[in-house]
Amino acid sequence: MNWNEFIFFALISIVFWYTGVLALYKSKSKWLGDALIITGLLVFAGFIVALWQSLGHPPMKTMGETRLLYSFFLVLVGYVTYRRWRYKWLMAYSVAVSTVFIIINLIKPEIHTTNLMPALQSIWFVPHVTVYILSYAMLGAATIGAVIVLYKGTEKRMGYFELIDNLVYIGLGFLIAGMLMGAVWAKEAWGDYWTWDPKEVWAFITAASYMLYIHAPKAGISGKKSLWILPLAFILLLITWLGVSYLPAAQGSIHVY
Amino acid sequence: MDRESKSGQKTFINERIIIIAIVIAGFALQIAAGPFDYSIISFPVNVIVLAVMLLLLLVKPSGATGRFGSAKVSLCLLAIITLMCLYMGIVANNGVKTSWPFVLTYLLILINIILVIGKRIRQFKWKDYGFYLNHIGLFIFLFSAGLGSADLQRYFMRVYEGKVEWRGENTKTGELTDLPVAISLEDFSMDMYPPKIAIIDKRNGETFPAGKPSLMESFEGSSGNIGEWSVKVDSIKDRPGVAPAAYIIAKNKNDGGTLAGWISCGNYFQSFKTLDVSDIYCFAMTYPEPKRFSSKVEVFTKRGLKKSGIIEVNDPLTAGSWKIYQYSYDSNMGRDSEYSVFELVRDPWLIPVYIGIIMVMAGAVTLFWKGGRK
Repeated sequence: MNWNEFIFFALISIVFWYTGVLALYKSKSKWLGDALIITGLLVFAGFIVALWQSLGHPPMKTMGETRLLYSFFLVLVGYVTYRRWRYKWLMAYSVAVSTVFIIINLIKPEIHTTNLMPALQSIWFVPHVTVYILSYAMLGAATIGAVIVLYKGTEKRMGYFELIDNLVYIGLGFLIAGMLMGAVWAKEAWGDYWTWDPKEVWAFITAASYMLYIHAPKAGISGKKSLWILPLAFILLLITWLGVSYLPAAQGSIHVY
Repeated sequence: MDRESKSGQKTFINERIIIIAIVIAGFALQIAAGPFDYSIISFPVNVIVLAVMLLLLLVKPSGATGRFGSAKVSLCLLAIITLMCLYMGIVANNGVKTSWPFVLTYLLILINIILVIGKRIRQFKWKDYGFYLNHIGLFIFLFSAGLGSADLQRYFMRVYEGKVEWRGENTKTGELTDLPVAISLEDFSMDMYPPKIAIIDKRNGETFPAGKPSLMESFEGSSGNIGEWSVKVDSIKDRPGVAPAAYIIAKNKNDGGTLAGWISCGNYFQSFKTLDVSDIYCFAMTYPEPKRFSSKVEVFTKRGLKKSGIIEVNDPLTAGSWKIYQYSYDSNMGRDSEYSVFELVRDPWLIPVYIGIIMVMAGAVTLFWKGGRK
């Protein structure tokens, strides 16, 4: 098994996932959508296992291999979250984002050309990054919800509050998990679990601003007012994710990519 | 959820004044006494602080001290620490983490968390396990990581192949001291990624085509295209002590012309070799990047422990209460480096830190599983 055969597995999985999502929305059957999505996941997992065997090591070393795992885990966690919270759109969203990663892997595989520096070669690499990306996806969705409520008014959109809160709790849960995995990894790689390097500082700022949001109602701040925190927090999140390397404080940091 | 009365509002103003007063006092101390010296909270001071903080669990939530455990205080402190971190995240060389206002806010947060826990424990319910995991875990983590860091010892140790070393350089002061750990380096070894072949512009050393360089990997039999050239690696010279070199055969796709010759990236004693394409361009080899470096060592401690193993990045060796990390090597010599640099860390608070991390991690799962308020 090698990367040349990826396209077949990927296409079969994608077809299963999309028809599965369609079935969730349109079909009256209680199990059809689930069965299709699970089958797609099994096909995809089959490729990962076969690739793992032929490589002789877990496929976590190159950029392309980590994207392969993203594509898988995004749909898996999207599905688990869907089973828990019944958000069909979240299932659709995770399949769509996964497809983007699959397409990147098909067009630009980067399977052996990328040299992974020794500090990145760790079992923590994939879960740390994957969990963060999932968290970003949830918090992005929560921000969209918040903007809709702030723009259109709260009257007919009370149901949104519950949805937004759920997304923020789930997203913050993933965010904290990603941060702590990063801490454990940093201890193994650099000898220190937390050094306040710029990426860590910004990760903390992001987490703290979402903590502000979830604690605000407990301090008597109304739901509508605290919604304003979310777009601000998401801007901070984007700086953490994409902007840190451009900041003066990050010059000379090794934690940028 | 807390319902706070109008008198609650008033007293919150008092709390806010106290918080702001403490932060301002921090700035004053910063000017008067200079940066915060963490060694003043090293053992046993941090343990005494911990005992005092644990006593706060007994404080009545409605009293003057107890009200510091209100959600409004938590929110206020979170906002202050976030602002301080924004400064830390934007301004280079900011010194925030050794500043008095930061340290005092950090302490206030610890006090706030312990009071919040004390308040909740009075109405203990098993279904609040998510709250307890998150808040007790966070307290343990913040305390051990913050006040515990004063007890952290960290040294660099440079060991030559075939030699034994027991002196370490303090990473903060640069002082050389005898350590209770000795390392004998049997072998330092390094794997490299294959070097890459490129066409470079001789005038400025830039890789061709400018901005979007085209590189190919070089190993025996590898082939690829760079610009109008189809390149094949005929043979490779790659062994310790010798600069990597490749014999390449390049065919021009337009005019069918052929070039062949050795190219090499050079090393600390051999100069590089290129193959001219024109007056401006030539084939060259990039420096190979390290893939993995490791040290085969034997470690001895004063207590008589003897342990051997391989230390590499992401895979430290634990000897007694010390953790030994692969830190560096002679970067000029690359894989022929005759020494290896280790980082030795002793952190007596590491176990509580991990307990805190595990608790908050479990708490994060409850956030995920239970979702927001209904």
